[in-house]
Amino acid sequence: MAATAVGTARPHGAALPHTGLLAWLGTTDHKRIGILYICTTFTFFLFGGVEALLMRTQLALPRSTLLAPDTYNQIFTMHGTTMIFLFMMPMLVGLGNYLVPLMIGARDIAFPRLNALGYWVLLFGGIFLYSSFLFGAAPDAGWFAYAPLTTAPFSPTPNLDFWILGIELLGISSIAGSINFLTTIFCLRAPGMTIGRMPLFVWMTMVTAVLTLVAMPSLAVAAALLFLDRHLGTGFYLAPVGGDPLLWQHLFWSFGHPEVYILILPAFGIISEVVPVFSRKPLFGYYMVAFSGVAIGFLSFLVWAHHMFAVGLPVTAQAFFAASSMTIAVPTAIKIFNWIGTMWHGTIRLTAAMHFAIGFIGNFIIGGLSGVMVAVVPFDWQVTDSYFIVAHMHYVLFGGSMLAVFAGLYYWFPKMTGRRLSERLGIWHVVLTFFGFNLTFFPMHFLGLLGMPRRVYTYAPDQGWEYINFAETVGAFILGIGVLVFIVNVLRSLRHGEVAGPDPWDAWTLEWATTSPPPPWNFVTHPPVRSARPLWDLKHPEDPDWRRGRSGGGAAGLGQPAAAPQPARDTHRDESVPAQPAHPADVELPEQTYWPLLLAAGLAVAFVGALVHIVLLVLGLGLVVYALLGWLLSERPSPDAEPAR
Amino acid sequence: MSTSAAVPATAHHPAPFGWSVDRWGFNLFIVSEAIIFVNLVAGYVYLRWISPVTPAMVVPPRELIVPSVNTVILIGSGVVAHWAQGGLARGRRGRLEGGLIATIVLGVLFLLGQAYEYTHAPFTPQSGTYGAAFFTLTGLHGLHVVVGVCFLFVLLLRARAGAFSADHAFPVQAGTLYWHFVDAVWIVLFTTLYLL
Repeated sequence: MAATAVGTARPHGAALPHTGLLAWLGTTDHKRIGILYICTTFTFFLFGGVEALLMRTQLALPRSTLLAPDTYNQIFTMHGTTMIFLFMMPMLVGLGNYLVPLMIGARDIAFPRLNALGYWVLLFGGIFLYSSFLFGAAPDAGWFAYAPLTTAPFSPTPNLDFWILGIELLGISSIAGSINFLTTIFCLRAPGMTIGRMPLFVWMTMVTAVLTLVAMPSLAVAAALLFLDRHLGTGFYLAPVGGDPLLWQHLFWSFGHPEVYILILPAFGIISEVVPVFSRKPLFGYYMVAFSGVAIGFLSFLVWAHHMFAVGLPVTAQAFFAASSMTIAVPTAIKIFNWIGTMWHGTIRLTAAMHFAIGFIGNFIIGGLSGVMVAVVPFDWQVTDSYFIVAHMHYVLFGGSMLAVFAGLYYWFPKMTGRRLSERLGIWHVVLTFFGFNLTFFPMHFLGLLGMPRRVYTYAPDQGWEYINFAETVGAFILGIGVLVFIVNVLRSLRHGEVAGPDPWDAWTLEWATTSPPPPWNFVTHPPVRSARPLWDLKHPEDPDWRRGRSGGGAAGLGQPAAAPQPARDTHRDESVPAQPAHPADVELPEQTYWPLLLAAGLAVAFVGALVHIVLLVLGLGLVVYALLGWLLSERPSPDAEPAR
Repeated sequence: MSTSAAVPATAHHPAPFGWSVDRWGFNLFIVSEAIIFVNLVAGYVYLRWISPVTPAMVVPPRELIVPSVNTVILIGSGVVAHWAQGGLARGRRGRLEGGLIATIVLGVLFLLGQAYEYTHAPFTPQSGTYGAAFFTLTGLHGLHVVVGVCFLFVLLLRARAGAFSADHAFPVQAGTLYWHFVDAVWIVLFTTLYLL
């Protein structure tokens, strides 16, 4: 969209207000949408966290009566659904939204309106899912909603309908998001930014977008068939009429396992940005990190049945899926060695962000190793559906993704707000998080080996599980306090934080080449991109990466073949890193439009209608058509940058 | 790029295949749609031939005349749509508009044939997994034909208003691509649901 900016005399949309609530409701600025994503998903994280604390409080003592069994089912289902679909996935989309255009030197994302639509659909989908609590009918069959438990004969109440329809909405949002990311990364990179010079976070967002695009339809189809089974009387998942409940598991996990990597690959990207900057060394083995991410993405489609070892698959299938699952350890370990190699002999600055990044590496290794353990079929038979699995997935999703998100928030908060987070509170946050996290989840390994099944609302006092459970609950509350410290830190730093300036960490990627926070148009100009570290080249004209043939990789890494030596006159033109003038007349501003919001609202009304009444459904679809027409008729002329063919 | 001067942020590195933003976005959208059908067909294949749980799927006797005619109609409409798009490239608006009208008519004929199928089928969505798969797959495909017809109709209106030219052809190319996609899906469905 930004491509036609030059020559436009007056910026579009400049007449509309860009402050206040309306500005946020109608924004198409990728940074504002990114902030909306981050704030919304963090709110959902708090919901999911409260659910976790409720569960831990219930389980602190045996035979506790705080939560009734059916309430407990709803709470653990909503905890999993929230943390995966309403928090981690869209949080990473939000970070990508904010950062990817800045990192590749673009003015906005490829389809700003579609981007806004994706956010609003996510918000309404989340509200829709949570509205189920108002009717006492929250989904209650676990986040993977196994058939036949979820079919009409066994779940006649509307709980699962909330889940199905909510998931379909979130699916629309994430597919729209991944189309947007891929198009942005393919088409809007700055001149000179080849695929091999992109920051690793952009690389991993790209791989993740491919995974989302390919995997999400499986879930959409699985849920749609479930809806038909429940309401139209088809029998896809019902064995008595010729269906097969395993079809659900195959469809769900062929989404579900790529999903695991959708949740972790952007986290790998964050770590690959944070670790080099705070080790004062280029990333060790740029290409190895990038390609191992691609390898993980590819392998993730070949491992889904390792979630199904206990259902009676043929032995050859089990052997195949066990082997393919273990194979994933190889590219994952490559990344870990690369991060350690980056820190090796580096000048490490132990900021809060770096603490979280190092903590990520340690805790994620534990989760990765227990992952290899459960890839061993007989071992999996022993621990499946026990707390060992709960421990494993929290080590990868919290010890992995969540710590990386914290690292990323500490690292990019100055860019987003112009102020730094307090390092002193940050260290408290680090300590409470690591201590609370490991106290909560490490003992779960033992609890699982001692036989405690997951998803039970209570247990008898004579099982030998009391002390461990009580300690875990204490850990969970410490973790909760850590999150509170983080919130205090954010709220205080927004007003009183140290002013960051454009480049507080002396970093190397393009997002630091503009003001903090960046202007709506991001850049008027940006430094030339001749390596993976354009700002290093700008700051060090005497030793630019491109002259050494360094890509992102260090001297020992797989560098690009050395480029032909360029004439090096006048390299540093002393436009000290960002000199972005005030709004120049020829720069197009992100437009204000309410059609995406209206379209998302129409979709939400239609989905509520599918659950409540046909009239509402028709009304919602009418609104969708109206919004779609309004959208199309008010579309800006498309920049047809394509050469005539 | 050979100098180190600051680069205006409006310039971009060449995109893979030289595709524009719109083309990349639309093609990826088609990919996501295709994967939805891949999943549905895979589910049907699983239930019919692979599932170890249930005995072989009961496949009712199938009448082939109407769906065969429908297949010819839809493939023919794809050829016509391609021809229409070629008219735009050569600056012949009459060929574009006539071709679009013919494609729309053929699309509506296909839908009528499908409606006949639905009203005369000896099975229902509730009468077993074949019926369930049949109505789910052809229903979703039919929905895509409806969307495709609307798409082509909007293109026709805008073409009559002179909105397209050889230099501004992307919407027409997108519409035809969508129509080809709907065609291709039908060939898979016809093979798996009727012939096998």
